[in-house]
Amino acid sequence: MESYDFDVIVVGAGHAGCEAAHAASLMGLKTCLVTINLETIAQMSCNPAIGGLAKGHLVREIDALGGIMGLLADRTGIHFRLLNRSRGGAVQAPRAQSDKALYRSAMKHWLEKTPNLALFQGIVTDILTENNSAWGVRTIEGNTFSSRAVIVTPGTFLNGKIHIGLHHYPAGRANEPPSEELSESLKTLGLQSFRLKTGTPMRLHKDTIHWDHFTTQPGDDKPVPFSFRTHKKLNNKIACYIGYTNVKTHAIIHRNLDKSPLYSGKITGIGPRYCPSIEDKVIKFPHHKRHQFFLELEGLDTAEVYINGISSSLPLEVQKDILKSIPGLEEAEILRPAYGIEYDAFVPTQLHPTLETRPIANLFFAGQINGTSGYEEAAAQGLIAGINASLKIKGRPPFILRRDEAYIGVLIDDLISKGVEEPYRLFTSRAEYRLQLRIDNADARLMPYGKELGLIDDEDFKAFQQKQKRIQRIMTILESEKVKTEAQKTIRLKDMLKKPEIKFEQIREHVPQQAELSDEDIRHIESEVKYEGYLIKQAKEIAHNLKIDKEKIPAQLDFQSVPGLTREAREKLDQYRPRTIAEAKRIPSLTPAAITNLHIHIKLQQRNAQKSSPRSER
Amino acid sequence: MLTPLRKTVYSSGITVYHIQVMFEDTIIAVSTAPGYGGLGVVRLSGDQALQISKKIFTPKKALTAISPRQPLLGYLFNSEHNERFETAYLTFFPAPNTYTREDMVEFSCHGSPVILEEAVRLGVKAGARHARPGEFTLRAYLHGRIDILQAEAINDLIMAPSLAQAKISFRQMEGSLSKKIGAVRKALIHLLSQIEATIEFPDDGLKISQRHIQKTMTNAIQTVNELIKSYDFGKTLSEGTTVAITGRTNVGKSTLFNALLDRERAIVTPYPGTTRDYLTEQIKIKDSLFSLIDMAGMGAATDQIEKEGIQRGRRLAKEADGILLVLDASRKETKEDIALIKKFQKQKAILLLNKIDLPVKMDIQTIKTLAPELSILEISALKRLNLKTLEKTIADRFIPHPKKSANIVLHLRQKLLLQDVDDALQNALQLLKDGYPEEMFGEEIRRTLPALGELTGDIRMDDVMSDIFNRFCVGK
Repeated sequence: MESYDFDVIVVGAGHAGCEAAHAASLMGLKTCLVTINLETIAQMSCNPAIGGLAKGHLVREIDALGGIMGLLADRTGIHFRLLNRSRGGAVQAPRAQSDKALYRSAMKHWLEKTPNLALFQGIVTDILTENNSAWGVRTIEGNTFSSRAVIVTPGTFLNGKIHIGLHHYPAGRANEPPSEELSESLKTLGLQSFRLKTGTPMRLHKDTIHWDHFTTQPGDDKPVPFSFRTHKKLNNKIACYIGYTNVKTHAIIHRNLDKSPLYSGKITGIGPRYCPSIEDKVIKFPHHKRHQFFLELEGLDTAEVYINGISSSLPLEVQKDILKSIPGLEEAEILRPAYGIEYDAFVPTQLHPTLETRPIANLFFAGQINGTSGYEEAAAQGLIAGINASLKIKGRPPFILRRDEAYIGVLIDDLISKGVEEPYRLFTSRAEYRLQLRIDNADARLMPYGKELGLIDDEDFKAFQQKQKRIQRIMTILESEKVKTEAQKTIRLKDMLKKPEIKFEQIREHVPQQAELSDEDIRHIESEVKYEGYLIKQAKEIAHNLKIDKEKIPAQLDFQSVPGLTREAREKLDQYRPRTIAEAKRIPSLTPAAITNLHIHIKLQQRNAQKSSPRSER
Repeated sequence: MLTPLRKTVYSSGITVYHIQVMFEDTIIAVSTAPGYGGLGVVRLSGDQALQISKKIFTPKKALTAISPRQPLLGYLFNSEHNERFETAYLTFFPAPNTYTREDMVEFSCHGSPVILEEAVRLGVKAGARHARPGEFTLRAYLHGRIDILQAEAINDLIMAPSLAQAKISFRQMEGSLSKKIGAVRKALIHLLSQIEATIEFPDDGLKISQRHIQKTMTNAIQTVNELIKSYDFGKTLSEGTTVAITGRTNVGKSTLFNALLDRERAIVTPYPGTTRDYLTEQIKIKDSLFSLIDMAGMGAATDQIEKEGIQRGRRLAKEADGILLVLDASRKETKEDIALIKKFQKQKAILLLNKIDLPVKMDIQTIKTLAPELSILEISALKRLNLKTLEKTIADRFIPHPKKSANIVLHLRQKLLLQDVDDALQNALQLLKDGYPEEMFGEEIRRTLPALGELTGDIRMDDVMSDIFNRFCVGK
């Protein structure tokens, strides 16, 4: 085909789709974002919050690469907290409750103003391919749109089915139609799918809640923004509230378990362990006399309150009884019932690290379709898919982040090499190099990439460079300036700061030029100094691994001849034909032992070849 | 896709999957020790085991099918020459209840090496492959029937140079070492999951007390250290307690060396991984192994290789578990004798007054006062006098005595891995005491898991995650 309607078509305007479309447009490609409903662009289906442990880290990384989730979360946030303030910098993460309606409209406006980007309301039913390469989409009315690449980000809409009690109906989200044909179209292309499930809690009317029964959780005094590019001061507009279920609640749930499809096995998909329904909690932890929940207002202009911690698929009548058993919620009115939802996802081990599918060229998947859960996980994948679709079209090498560079790298590597058994959520403990991947250094790690890709503008990058210079100046001072300890010993400022009980504030007076440092700068300096020992050790390890990763695998290597491999390992190697050790590491279910065997074999071959080469050639 | 062969669910809820890995080929090997003996066994393992066996065996009575686990009388058969060459019993063991979890066949016949090798050769011709050393046990491990510590224990059992080691190997084969290390691993996973849960879910009201973390780590360190200490004893079992015979020239060291060797030479198959020296020989006293080092061999070196040998010998002697200090009792004690006694009196040494077959000119009382802590024996190496007492003294004084039910760690590999675990835990404990945050000492605890996994062969990255969700009601 000579000319295309678009360079990139993105199907689905959830968190993944918005980042994908935005990135592709900024990289200069003619992009179209197709959605079933323009009103629900960037809808937060569940929790009215962005961030948290590992998720907050992702948002910072997305921001450093030029994505928009962080900026918009800052603009529409109504309650901000930095989690784990009492712990070290590596496990601190920002979290904010956003006004859902404001977030949606902020995203819609942003995208409407993005050059090269067209929004379109339509229902995509088929992905069009020729010779195993995607070239466009067809919508329900029969119209086709052609493009060089298609990014599919349908969230929970693929063959979605909602369960409330024993009743169920097809839906992608409450009362929104599912995408049935699209799912079948993808399966016809030979892509492997599986079923997942998740749930969401009920929404209550704020005026029917007796708020004095609950403990307030105020926001931070000095909210920490998500985005490195947010310069205005942030304010908390609301507080959040903590409550508990009790034994009466649990008894009600026990009595009605047979009416819970999430529990009774009527739903076939696999659910997330870390987002248990209240049924799960009560059964698995019978000795707990109470379970915590949070009451979170969904926005400034709405009466809807999200009850965080009581997701369920029990019938509406039982949900009402549950509320009656909790002091303060006896008269609470349900605006939207809690429900369970099951949906199709596609096996992520059939993806390249660029998120392009292996069987079909120019077709990219991002978000819940790959078996992840969470807005942030989706947004990160959308960004990477958008970037890589654009790079491929431009004929440039792909953008793949390593596990030691970013949580995004950990996320995607986990997906494509291990696959998923339950909806995948990122945790900081999934990262081997957790101490390296912090919110305070996301810009140092990733902004240069963002600039190179064209997603970070000159002004923001200049501010980043100035920040780096500032930090460097202070680090030099810390290395050289000395101070006396309580025991009258003289040590370097840096060593003083290394002590676990010492914060930067306590040595501030000894540091010249400290007035120009922002809180963000200080967080970064503290982390770099306090973790220094580990960072240096891990840097060595990373460098060593990088060297091994780069090792080329000879193209003509017969994998059958490598000793110590199982038959399955040999089959996988023959199937994927990796060209470097790094590529081999990503092959699903290939064990570290197999990689080691392969690596040793290659090195031995090299050594033998060198030995037999004539001296004169050297 | 690998299908789980079996899964072990621990009480904590951690699930370990044992995966079946299928090998294409069927292996064959002689199963009894080399040398002539009454009975010989040839074993096959693999999915072609029965098929291949049928090609080299004809039953006495023609049958339609071979019953499992019933020995069948017949003949080993050479199809090339169309002749039967040996009476044998064939027993078929169908998977999965076999040593390797695969189909197995055993042939029992006369223990003639020639016959056995011929059977193997024909088996190979019929499509089997000669098993590599330890391959049957390897398959048992890979098929999940035993873990790696048990696999090593089986190897040790077969190679055991002494009965004491055989006893320990048998216990380990039964899994006692695995259990102990498994318990440490479980405890650390629990601890780590608690720490990680408080980090990942700060709003869920989880608390973990400093005291509890410290207690868990201290307990783990204690167990690990006990196992590490046991290595010294384990080493003596697998490599022999080293005993160096030292003394001035012409006191009779070589005579003593040969006398002991004549009486108690040990026939030992070379233990893999240890170097045998021309300076050392093995003897067995009671049921323990000793490596005698002949310092008499340390004369002037004539070439580089001898020089290295002598240096090695000197080092061995310095690190020897026991010293036999030999004096010539038929001559008056000299300044050098006294110096030697003084040098070795603080070590584990036995003072030997040799050549008592000749008139004694040495002042034995003086010697006794010089070294009141050393055992002193009067012997004649030449005339073989008092050597039985000497052997008893060697056994009593030089063998370290571990606690009765100790788990003995036999291999350097195991010891080094346990040392890594100990280092990491000590670091973690120190960081905790000094007030460093959880993610830092958590990092050290994380480091121990791959090492412990390597020890038992279980490497499951997800164990901490699973544990968190099984133990804590977290997440929204």
